[in-house]
Amino acid sequence: MSEEAKAVGGRLGAVVETLMGCSVLQVDPAKVKEACAAVSSLPGYYHLTTIAAADRGDRIEITYFFWRGRAFLVVRTTVPKTDPTLDSISGILPGATLYEAEIQDLFGVTFTGSPYTGKRLLLPDSYPADAPPPFRTEADPEKIRKLMKLE
Amino acid sequence: MQYSPENVMPFGPIHPSLKEPEYFKLILDSGKIKEVIPRIGYVHRGIERAAQDRTWVKNIYLFERICGICSFAHSLGYTQGVEILTHFEVPRRAKYLRTIVAELERIHSHFLWLGLVGHWAGFDTLFMWVWKDREHILDLEEAITGNRIHKSYVAIGGVRKDLPDGLRETLLKELVFIEKRARYYSELVQSEETLSIRTKGVGGLTQDTARRLCPVGPLLRSTGIARDIRVEDPYAAYDELIPQVQSSTDGDIACLMTIRLNEVLDSCRVIRDAVDKLPSGPVRNPVPRVVPSGESCQHVEAPRGELFYFVRSEGKSGPARVKLRTPTLANIMTAIEMLKGRPIADVPIVLTGMDPCFGCMDRVSVVDLNKSAQWSLTGEQLRQYGIEYYRRHE
Repeated sequence: MSEEAKAVGGRLGAVVETLMGCSVLQVDPAKVKEACAAVSSLPGYYHLTTIAAADRGDRIEITYFFWRGRAFLVVRTTVPKTDPTLDSISGILPGATLYEAEIQDLFGVTFTGSPYTGKRLLLPDSYPADAPPPFRTEADPEKIRKLMKLE
Repeated sequence: MQYSPENVMPFGPIHPSLKEPEYFKLILDSGKIKEVIPRIGYVHRGIERAAQDRTWVKNIYLFERICGICSFAHSLGYTQGVEILTHFEVPRRAKYLRTIVAELERIHSHFLWLGLVGHWAGFDTLFMWVWKDREHILDLEEAITGNRIHKSYVAIGGVRKDLPDGLRETLLKELVFIEKRARYYSELVQSEETLSIRTKGVGGLTQDTARRLCPVGPLLRSTGIARDIRVEDPYAAYDELIPQVQSSTDGDIACLMTIRLNEVLDSCRVIRDAVDKLPSGPVRNPVPRVVPSGESCQHVEAPRGELFYFVRSEGKSGPARVKLRTPTLANIMTAIEMLKGRPIADVPIVLTGMDPCFGCMDRVSVVDLNKSAQWSLTGEQLRQYGIEYYRRHE
């Protein structure tokens, strides 16, 4: 576990652990923007490799990968499916814009302050508004196919 | 800010400079690009989701079909992620063979790209020469792996087959040819007037922009930020066969050509080094069918730049989640920045400059709402427009 991660984690009150051979900061959703700003300003960690999302039952897990040298410094949080909202980091790191837009489309997470709020990047305009986002476990491809009249 | 409708130019989703559909809304001001709004997803196939319904092994072949150019990089990134979870060591010989095929893939990808730049700059002879030379590499890949495009060479725990008998000499002979051609092209791109006019100063990417937008690969290195995953976070046999990172500070399309051609020359050196030092031993270790629970993240330096794979296992016969990020997605925002302030004539060459992987059909629709008119430019017409534009503005 890197000293830098411990220092950032201490400042934010985040749990710091080692996963995937990397230091992972488990942060509260409200502190994601602050955590990403702190990590990206660490020497050499300016490169955001990507943001990954995963369906974890009743929550969506969002993971930010910042790369330097032989390891990533990872910021991770989860948001409930009932209120999947996070602050966008595109204001402090414009390179995150499309990664956030992708997660918004595929997992239904809203990033407050993103230029893509209310717009689509990947999904077709004909994707039914009342259907769950396609990468959530409750999304049924057959039902969506019927709703989109693709049969 | 509201833009007047006569300044909006939809570019795509079927457009000429790329091999797959993509949409860019170009906002123009006095014929120069002021803003670009991308819309992607026209060829999104839900592969990450499909991977959750397949076994660990089947996914190798699924992921390599994401791209016909860097198919090996995809299968390698995914497989390395799975191998970390299995805690099984890959034999050294297999690591060397993986490095050889990865570098051959880099050469053919860079040659393919150079040919396209030649085409869009109005220098079709270069396009035909480079693509002919590229065939030598594809033949080598076929001889080593059995396939030209989707090589299916990587296996979890190693590679599928050893280097065929007698291929070492052929490989070394072809490398001499490729190096000779790459040196010739290096001189050509610096001295040929057509290419200089169309590529020098086009782009103008700065380090500050690169740090904000997080591009990868040659595009990042064109700003002087010399980052290469093969060197900074070595995988396969790159800890023993160390590549030289190629970079420049010009940030334009011209320096992207030089960087990629230098990378071709360096790839030849790395392959020769790998063939000379190729260790003996097995090329594959047996691994279990069920991967233990856990998660891993891996990235490889694909020809276009950093290709990232996140893999999560829940101890079943297939992954619970695979997330991947291709270099093109990382580079789109930067290409948009490079387009700002440029004339429409530069759109194909700048978009080609980032070496995108979403592709090309054959027309662009230009809409002039002010005149209630709509017309189309074919790919050839847009190419001619670019050539004529630079003839007029020389």
